[in-house]
Amino acid sequence: MAVFLRIFIGLVFLISGFEKLISPYQNFLYVIQAYEIFPSGMEKAVAFIVPWIELLTGLFLILGLWLGWSLKGALVLFSCFIVIVGQALIRSLPLEACGCFGEWIHILPKNIIVFDSVMLLGTFWLLRHPAQVKRFSLDQSLKA
Amino acid sequence: MVLSKQKITILIVGVAIVVVAIVRLILSPSAGSIDAVAARTQGPAQARVNIVEFLDFECPACAKGAMEIKEYLTKHPGDIHLQIKYFPLMNMHRHALQVASYAECVSRQGKFWPFFDTLMPLQSQWSPLFSAEAIFDQIAGQAGVDMAKLRACVSSEDVPTTIMNEKSLGISLGVKSTPTYFINNKMVVGYKSLVEELNKYFPQDK
Repeated sequence: MAVFLRIFIGLVFLISGFEKLISPYQNFLYVIQAYEIFPSGMEKAVAFIVPWIELLTGLFLILGLWLGWSLKGALVLFSCFIVIVGQALIRSLPLEACGCFGEWIHILPKNIIVFDSVMLLGTFWLLRHPAQVKRFSLDQSLKA
Repeated sequence: MVLSKQKITILIVGVAIVVVAIVRLILSPSAGSIDAVAARTQGPAQARVNIVEFLDFECPACAKGAMEIKEYLTKHPGDIHLQIKYFPLMNMHRHALQVASYAECVSRQGKFWPFFDTLMPLQSQWSPLFSAEAIFDQIAGQAGVDMAKLRACVSSEDVPTTIMNEKSLGISLGVKSTPTYFINNKMVVGYKSLVEELNKYFPQDK
């Protein structure tokens, strides 16, 4: 169960990051601008950096490398997503989709906040069960 | 040879960077030329600012962008060449393909701009409707099109093909959402980036 959940969360980040990285970065910049939360200069930095953080967090979770740090990273990412989408919903910003998976999957902001919350709880649960999470992981293999 | 955890990490990060770089290279936008459709262009062809816009007539940011560009066109009529390309987002907007079909058919009668200039400011009125055909008919009628020809055109099979060919061109250039502009070949997505880019050419308008 813990391993499947770890790999599932990893895949979510991997797909999300990969889609953004193989597209022109202007597309993700547009998504970030729509949330109206960052200053202009920071929007561009976020559009460049976040997809790489998502991709590497996803890869590390799937492979089970640096699991403690990867899970904490996932926790921070899900928390940030919930805050960013939540403030957009509270301010009734005209978002047609969350933009989380680029153009591959369209999810409404009110739905993605539920998904992110479930993922956040799942990540919490994984952090509290380190022994189960480390099964079939590089962390475990490299320690042996 | 047993690799350390640090070395494996560096290897994984390196492989990830190489894979992303290769996929980006394979999917990199083709440098094919964008043919201008005379009926959907505005401004002198040799203008110093050439804008190609891929839009969905039902997207709210496209309406906002259209008003902004109209302002710039009014202030700098000789400096901007604008052309409109179809990029309907059918999975997000119920009227996307139908309104693009109307736009294509009024273009064929040389009435694209009067239709467009009335259609976009009224977007918030027709977008929520279940059926907006009556409004499109009305706007087309006001633009002065031959209604019989328009009806025949809207139901013809080649119109969606024309629209989807333009959307395919957009996809090949890396367009994923609307509005996406190519300002002197530089890709700019969304209203905010449009204003930032245009301000570089017309700093006095800031």
